[in-house]
Amino acid sequence: MEPDRLGFLKMRSPLCNLFYMATTKATVSSAANSSPPKPEYDLEALLRGDEEAFEYLVVQESPRLYRVIFRILGDEEESQNILQETFLQAFQRMDTFRKESKLTTWLYAIGINLARASLRKSKRLSSLNDQDVERMQPSFSKGMFLESPHHWDPLKLAEQSDRHRLVHQAIVKLPEDYKTIVILRDIEEHSTDEVAKMLGITSGAVRVRLHRARGALRSMLDAHFSHSNPSSEGLS
Amino acid sequence: MKLIVMIKTLLGFAPNCEKVNAFLADYMDGTLPEKTAKQFEDHIDMCKCCGPYFEQYRETIDMTRCCGEVKLPEELVEHTLTFLRKNAK
Repeated sequence: MEPDRLGFLKMRSPLCNLFYMATTKATVSSAANSSPPKPEYDLEALLRGDEEAFEYLVVQESPRLYRVIFRILGDEEESQNILQETFLQAFQRMDTFRKESKLTTWLYAIGINLARASLRKSKRLSSLNDQDVERMQPSFSKGMFLESPHHWDPLKLAEQSDRHRLVHQAIVKLPEDYKTIVILRDIEEHSTDEVAKMLGITSGAVRVRLHRARGALRSMLDAHFSHSNPSSEGLS
Repeated sequence: MKLIVMIKTLLGFAPNCEKVNAFLADYMDGTLPEKTAKQFEDHIDMCKCCGPYFEQYRETIDMTRCCGEVKLPEELVEHTLTFLRKNAK
């Protein structure tokens, strides 16, 4: 690797700084929108170590990648450390990017792997395991529903702030690999194929785990929202 | 129509509740063949259990999607670039 390949970062002119700050603010505020325009990256420039191209990648992807890492870890300081480490590894391993996936898919795979390793190291375990998730799926007898689902109370569903808290609590309880798939597929809205590439599993495996995760989330929320269950027992 | 779907399901010519449930994620991803997807829709329309379950399944996805913003740390990008300046050598 060339020495001080990121020297451009030290040498930003005031004009460049102004442009950079404007771009950063625009990126952060656009992250609040549901579908910000997707930036395009100059792959050839990145592969030959172009500094401006890498800076653009960092500026554009930091907010979204940080959100994914934070949702996996739930710890602001550690999430920022992992974000930085992700870009460092991406920078140092750029020559290993084979264009078999999108650049962002490759980048997110690095970030997710680092976040999961951090989670295992810290031993912050989820409260549910695979067997719990299995038990939270509906039961069938001879292919038919064993029990009819309770209807959800529209009044309880309408309490938006309570709803956010309950959903957040339920997601946090999921086993780590289920939670990661929910974050990537249902929250960040990556495609199933992208999620499969990020996690190194098949698309079918993503759909199976996603389905079980959604079933478990539905079951936990059912304890709160159904007419017959006035308490939030499932989320306590 | 409902009766025909029920008879087909009982005779095994149309998917039952368990099969519909097992392939909900595929159905929502749009990866099922058109004919199978139509059979799923007929079943969900007809079944007193699968109808509400599917509604709640979809509601769960919608609620998950909107489960709150993550507050981005101030100077997030600046800190990342500073870190890279120091370490990417």
